[in-house]
Amino acid sequence: MMSRGLVKKIGVAGALALALGAGAAAADDIAIGVNMPLTGAFAASGTFVADGARIAADEINARGGVLGKKLRLVIEDNKSNPTEAAAVAEKLIVRDKVPVMLGAWGSSLTLAVMPKLMQYKVPMLVETSSSSKITLQGNPYVFRISAPSSLEAENLAKVLDKFNIKKADFLVINNDWGRGSATDFSAMLKKHGVEVGLVEIMDQSAQDMSAQLSKIKASDSDTLFITAAVEQLTLVLKQVEALGLKRQIITTGGSQNPDQLIAQAGKATEGTMHMVFFAPWQPEKSAYPAKSEAFIAAWSKKGFDAAGLTESYRGYDGINVIAAAIEKAGVAEPEAIRKALWEIKAEGLNGPIAFQKAGPEGRESGQSVPATYIGKVVNGKVEVLQ
Amino acid sequence: MTRLTPIIVLLFFASVPWWLTDQYLLHTLITTGIFILAAMSLNLLLGYTGQLSLGHVAFFGIGAYTSALTALGFDVELFGLFRVVHEPWPPVLGLLFGTLVAALCGFVIGKLSFRVRGAYFVIVTISFAEVTRLVSLNWVELTQGPLALPGIPPLTIGFPGLGYMTLWEKTENYYVVLAFIVLAYILIKRLVNSRFGRAMIALKGNESLATSVGIDVTRYLVIAAIVSAGMAGCAGALYAHYIQIIDPMIFMFLNTVTMVIMVITGGKGTLAGPLVGGLIFGLAPVVLRSYVGPEIQWILYGLLMIVVVFVLPQGIVPAIEQWFNRTKAEPLREPSVAGKGERA
Amino acid sequence: MNVDQLLQHLANTLIMGGTYALLGIGLTLIFGIMRVVNFTHGELYAFGAYGLYFVSVVLGMNFYVSILFAIAGGMVLGALIELVLLRPKRGADIDTTMLLMIGAWIVLQNTEHLAWGSIAKSIPSPFPTEPLVIGPISLSWLRIFVFGVAILLIIATYFLINRTRLGNAMRATFQDTDTAALMGVNIRAIYTMTFALGSGLAAAAGALLGPVFVVTPTMGDLASLKAFAIVILGGLGNITGATIGGFILAFVEEIGAGYISSGYRDAMGFLIIIVVLLFRPTGIFARVERIG
Repeated sequence: MMSRGLVKKIGVAGALALALGAGAAAADDIAIGVNMPLTGAFAASGTFVADGARIAADEINARGGVLGKKLRLVIEDNKSNPTEAAAVAEKLIVRDKVPVMLGAWGSSLTLAVMPKLMQYKVPMLVETSSSSKITLQGNPYVFRISAPSSLEAENLAKVLDKFNIKKADFLVINNDWGRGSATDFSAMLKKHGVEVGLVEIMDQSAQDMSAQLSKIKASDSDTLFITAAVEQLTLVLKQVEALGLKRQIITTGGSQNPDQLIAQAGKATEGTMHMVFFAPWQPEKSAYPAKSEAFIAAWSKKGFDAAGLTESYRGYDGINVIAAAIEKAGVAEPEAIRKALWEIKAEGLNGPIAFQKAGPEGRESGQSVPATYIGKVVNGKVEVLQ
Repeated sequence: MTRLTPIIVLLFFASVPWWLTDQYLLHTLITTGIFILAAMSLNLLLGYTGQLSLGHVAFFGIGAYTSALTALGFDVELFGLFRVVHEPWPPVLGLLFGTLVAALCGFVIGKLSFRVRGAYFVIVTISFAEVTRLVSLNWVELTQGPLALPGIPPLTIGFPGLGYMTLWEKTENYYVVLAFIVLAYILIKRLVNSRFGRAMIALKGNESLATSVGIDVTRYLVIAAIVSAGMAGCAGALYAHYIQIIDPMIFMFLNTVTMVIMVITGGKGTLAGPLVGGLIFGLAPVVLRSYVGPEIQWILYGLLMIVVVFVLPQGIVPAIEQWFNRTKAEPLREPSVAGKGERA
Repeated sequence: MNVDQLLQHLANTLIMGGTYALLGIGLTLIFGIMRVVNFTHGELYAFGAYGLYFVSVVLGMNFYVSILFAIAGGMVLGALIELVLLRPKRGADIDTTMLLMIGAWIVLQNTEHLAWGSIAKSIPSPFPTEPLVIGPISLSWLRIFVFGVAILLIIATYFLINRTRLGNAMRATFQDTDTAALMGVNIRAIYTMTFALGSGLAAAAGALLGPVFVVTPTMGDLASLKAFAIVILGGLGNITGATIGGFILAFVEEIGAGYISSGYRDAMGFLIIIVVLLFRPTGIFARVERIG
């Protein structure tokens, strides 16, 4: 055993020397890893984000790329599964040698990737995940442009009196995203004197929520908060209508694609409200109207479904921020990009992007403060309330 | 094949980290090795006793979760009555407990499911694996369910007084997995060649005959299940500490199917079968990945499985052995299509 | 306990039970007559759902006609599987055919993935979205339709098996293949027809539930597992058992999800299997021998 240990150490040294030698070869493009759910429960959302990222990369490359090199997106499917997300990160870092990544959509997926970032010291831009845990763990390689659910809840609190809520139930997806949202929104509601009733969970692959909804139907709440991605949400809304459940419905998380809901669940969506982070229904009111309109035009030119805009903008913003950081770093190396990310002031479709420190001192994560909007479905069209 | 073949193969694989510079390929070899270990354990049931257990991934997952939770610690309230608090222990103890708990589950499940045979047995084993998956998914307090269990510490090996080392590097993990495969190989070889092994093979051939000559069939099957489950649990534990994250999808049926494909293709009931099958299916994704998407890759796996059942029902290893023996005996003879089906 | 809630749960049970029974009957028929554990059953279910999507959404045909096409498509695919994979291996042991079926399952599922992509498809139905309200119970018209068709298909299957010449031959094969062959029953044809019929029922279940839920390439996995649970409950090869088993599974799932924990909804079926096998290893309604 001991002699083998020695042998192995020599082996490690040899392998390391060879690996370093291989790594020194100059690449003629800059690879960016994209870790997204392209199959499984979140396939629709992950695909939209990846498409948004592609548009950003194409635009940047058309302008001549970054540091005189073309951007090359290495998009890998994490199958909506945490272990797979970690495996994808391993592959992107070790095999494709990407200096920076975008990902991994879901909170549980992102949390699964985070130890890999620490291990290999590669930064990742988090574009969708909302669990508050992500930026509080003391992982200095995490930079998030999406809203933590606590921020989402605070933004809702500002206009809470509009909704006249006395008692609220929750129906949330069973993962870090759903559970985190239930915790943060309940805390906010209780603080404002609103009673919290049932908190029902549903598996990410569940299709029949009748049992949970029947239980909610028997409660005396006036409002139902739902956190789920668009496919599941479509089913929930259909089943809400089928069960004759009359509640004020507010959905959170920004992955609802309201137009897709209207197209697929029809009248069941009437009157429902959705917290989103990009309002493509009124680009003129966004922080940078010209950019929003240009992105919407590029999106429709590619023939993509307009319903995906509330999701795809994340990929677009994400790649633009990463490109800006590489430009600022002057070199496509993980540590340089990580440092540069702290100095970024970017114009995102969601609004200005700049990272503030979050989490334990000395190993803070970056958190940008995005805007939130509430869209309400009125006569089959989305009206922006806030 | 000569007696030297295993030694030569072992020396070759021991040399791999010396010349393989691609760390990702090494990573793939490690995970493949872990799956080979699991496939070897399945082979004990499937190949030597002839019981098609399709819930094998349950033991793999139980080993992984037990080991991870032993190492990470937990704080659980049972039935709202009393709390069980467990402080983190060294991962090596996790490996031990993972193996033992999986073996215990093998005993319980064996006792229950060997009451039935054939189709019932298959469905019972699948159901058992599904229940373990759903428990791991829903017992969030213990397993964190779909939130996954991240941050599992890597193994630390060593002896008191001689120093310890934590297995962070791929090369170190590679040798540990290789060592476990060698151990499992020797264990299975001795087991199969013992009185116990001969009894197992006898009851595979004809269960009622085996019963009539006084073999306590169920007892032998349960013992085989215990050993097999323990080995699978050990593989699962190695997996958890190497990958450092597990979630309920570890229990998915497709993982069992992967093990079954490895064993069937390589040659069930042979010592080398799971190794050959495992290497083929463990490394195939790396090769195929650059040419085709994962769907086509799985379609190829499925087709290959069908083809193997039709053309090489005994698997690759017996076919090669036959070919080898025949060419040795009659060197002038044209090597025919691997003497298919002769042992069927 | 809230009576209104319980009534709603019971109504949900009845509606799901119909399609579960359909799934179970298809699987148990194939097992009973052919001694094949059909791992492709769930894929036929998915095939039915995609078939409906293809004919009614992509080709734009009438919804009801499309359902017939989907069922017919399932029967054809089933017959093909039988002809290509099972016929050459007739008489092989049960494990061999099981491995073949697992291979076919993998091929079919990934072909669906390749053909349709992984993003869920939704199928619009011609029914009004306002539910039918009877006192405290609300039921969607679509689900009532699904239930009605499922019951119709179950009755038709009973009729086919108990009142027709084909059914006679199938029952004869079920009881004793060799004797049936001696009596002039064309066993090969019976096998193909059985597999086609069982597959058609699975495709029907898929086509019926497709519009209720969404259609995804992996939807068949859970359907297969549930069909296994139903069949074990009722006893392998027992059609009445599978019918009742379907309703029992729906009941246990619904009550479990409503009163115990929604997360364990899908676990209920498997827990039942384990309990049943502890006390009655051949299923609640079983007459067949224990060692299958």
